[in-house]
Amino acid sequence: MKNKTIRTTIGLIMLLFLSEGCSKNFLDRMPTDKLDGNTLFANPMGVKVYMANLYGQLPIEDFKFYDRGWSYVEWMAPSVLTMAFLTDEAVHSQWDVMLNNGGNSWWDPGYKLIRDVNLLIDIIPTLGLTESEEKSMLGEGAFIRAFTYYGLAKRYGGVPLIRETQVYDGDVEKLKVPRSTEQETWDFVLSECDLAIANLPDTWLGGERRATKWAAYALKSRAALHAASIAKHWARSPLSGPAVDQGLVGIPAGEANRYYEACIDASAAIMESGKFGLFKPNPTNPQEAAENYRVLFEYPNAAGNEPIFIKGFARTGVDGHNYDVWYNPNQTANGWGYPGRLNPSLEFVDLYESYTNPGHSAPIVTTEDGNVNDYNGYRKDRSYLRFENPYDIFKDKDARLWGTVVLPGTEWKGETIIIQGGYVQPDGEAQIEIDNAITVDGTTYYSYGAPDWTQYSGFNPANIQMTRSGFSYKKMLSSQPITPADRQSITDWMEFRYAEILLNYAEAVAESGFAANNAQLTAEQAINALRRRAGHTVDIPLTIESVIRERRVELAFENKRFWDLIRRREFHTLLNNTPRRALVPLLDLRTSPATYIFVRRTVSRTITRTFNPRHYYVSIPGIGANGLVQNPQY
Amino acid sequence: MMVSVVTFMSCELDNYDMPNAVLFGSIVDAESGELLEQDIINGTQIEYIELGFDDPATQYLVVKNDGTFRNNLVFAGTYTVRPVRGNFFPIDKKEIQVKGDTQIDFQVQPYIRVKNVSIAKAGDKVIATFNLEQTGPNNVRKIGLYAHPEAAVGEPLRKVAVEKVLNEPTDPDATFSLEIDLPSHPTLAPGHPYFFRVGALYDAPEAKLNYAKAVRLAL
Repeated sequence: MKNKTIRTTIGLIMLLFLSEGCSKNFLDRMPTDKLDGNTLFANPMGVKVYMANLYGQLPIEDFKFYDRGWSYVEWMAPSVLTMAFLTDEAVHSQWDVMLNNGGNSWWDPGYKLIRDVNLLIDIIPTLGLTESEEKSMLGEGAFIRAFTYYGLAKRYGGVPLIRETQVYDGDVEKLKVPRSTEQETWDFVLSECDLAIANLPDTWLGGERRATKWAAYALKSRAALHAASIAKHWARSPLSGPAVDQGLVGIPAGEANRYYEACIDASAAIMESGKFGLFKPNPTNPQEAAENYRVLFEYPNAAGNEPIFIKGFARTGVDGHNYDVWYNPNQTANGWGYPGRLNPSLEFVDLYESYTNPGHSAPIVTTEDGNVNDYNGYRKDRSYLRFENPYDIFKDKDARLWGTVVLPGTEWKGETIIIQGGYVQPDGEAQIEIDNAITVDGTTYYSYGAPDWTQYSGFNPANIQMTRSGFSYKKMLSSQPITPADRQSITDWMEFRYAEILLNYAEAVAESGFAANNAQLTAEQAINALRRRAGHTVDIPLTIESVIRERRVELAFENKRFWDLIRRREFHTLLNNTPRRALVPLLDLRTSPATYIFVRRTVSRTITRTFNPRHYYVSIPGIGANGLVQNPQY
Repeated sequence: MMVSVVTFMSCELDNYDMPNAVLFGSIVDAESGELLEQDIINGTQIEYIELGFDDPATQYLVVKNDGTFRNNLVFAGTYTVRPVRGNFFPIDKKEIQVKGDTQIDFQVQPYIRVKNVSIAKAGDKVIATFNLEQTGPNNVRKIGLYAHPEAAVGEPLRKVAVEKVLNEPTDPDATFSLEIDLPSHPTLAPGHPYFFRVGALYDAPEAKLNYAKAVRLAL
């Protein structure tokens, strides 16, 4: 009865509104909760707020980034997926993660940011700033515009270059700008970087995390390397069609060395500035090196002069990310229901060098015959190598493996992380990925290394939070107990760090053969400085293979691998009916005491992956309305 | 109530005509007159565009492994048609009238002819030997022997692949040999029949592999 009265009342009020809504000045009223442009820019604080918003829109591929866009993770839950799943770095514990037809679009957000930054650049001269303030703000505008066009160019190739704010005067055709060539687009990115370098300060007095001259050099180093790679490696997977004929995708091979040299120059400026260096470059032993490497990502702000540009995460529950809740091993979930999702792959673990054989990847050898290409599973009659502890098989592997990956049987957050796929019975028959137990000589052994699912972290197919590759993940995770809720992680993200600059430099030198200014030697020293920081004591020569291996292990899980495969046109050869691989530790009860053996195998419940070459570019949305030339094969 | 009235009002019967024509044909080696072997997955496609519209959509047909294609649901009209991204030198588009059953065969020059193929089981190996006759000056990127339970076997559809990277021009008299060691590939179960096919990839933009016909072998 009461409800009915309320409803009637509301109905009457609404009727009142509806009939009265069209008063004379209604459309001219100013909103009381919003500012217009003039008011905002009239106040220095307003400009600052506007600037912070632009930084927030930058396409920094941080913890929340996935599949060339951000939309998917934002509606679901940040970090539920990450780029590593699309590469050969990792496998998801539950899903076969596939590229979403070329990737999520970043077209609309990109051009929104371009418009927003163009508005700012236009208004700077009218703000009445001091000369130095105006200079640094112009530099920031150029940096943001360069970063945005870099984000667009690596997805779409050549794009329309909107150099000043567009004004709509009733003729929509005037707003349509055709695509520039891919080469022109990259050249624009580099020239905007130059503008930023010329105008930005060395540091910000208040220590704010805003773009500096050095961040602009770093962006230029990265962008030039991308453009150079496309020019040099286009022929590995050429495309055809109108977009190619008009140069909207692809760069002539003759341009490669110009871009490589731009990368070398920008990187050298940072390397010669004396302002940056590696965090703890000379560890006394590999254990120390592994911990140094791990800490670098947990506390980037305390990482000496290695970071060049950091994106901060501050407010838990609001704009925090979810790496810790999704990616901790099952045993350290601290009550959260969905951990253990990020499982580094065996191919990735294989990649690391061993201290005993410098300069070469050291695939995990599991059998006496040393065959590392047999993925056919356990066979009773094979002679497996035996280990007392499950982690002994990784002895002498590069410290960064230990700092990136939770290996079976190692400690993490005070727990021994148990990753075991089954056991071999005394009669030689194996129980693999079957929840079972056996008693031998009065002792009971369990398939997964412990009786209860909360006590182990691997392989049980009934639990989607168990690693199925044999490895769990820890790089960039907090060493503190997690808060089992959404968006609680506030680890900061290093968008540019010194190590990447060294690797960009070394790759550009190795690819181009550039030899002036002693570049060959400097490049060799660069990769060996990274290796020494990782506990290596023997230097290796500069080759493109050693640079790429070093890049993959040093920058692992920093969302670089995906773009490396794109720009170097290696995706379609890497993923061609390619299975994912696991290392399965088994407890072998044929010996007493029991020992660990390992089986190299295809990851359970996965399918093979193939990369379609058209996905080297993303499709351009809305060509029916914007009239742009579409990318090949879309 | 008002909402449902509005919703129901918007439904009308679709009274457009059905597609009333058939487009079919084949891709033929102009020299030998034989069908040119293809892949279904990521293989050659037939690109066709219906003329008479301002902004016509480009449509695609998949080519079957034997080199034929067919679409039984096409609207009669004028089209431009051409095969694209194939295993032969690109050819110009053709303008055709599609009406009733319309056949169009494309005479092409394959990048490579895979000849004198022998695939046989010997002991616990499957051994393939063949010659390659390439029709252009570029490198041959790789050769491969592929196995799968389905007859549509090829580089994209295989249980087992044994490939060799060449990256060099080939001599038509040279005999190439590839072998699958059965014990190290337990996915090929003894006692079951499988299809085997050899292919070679020419170094040209967006080139697809050239093949010989698949061979069925019981292991």
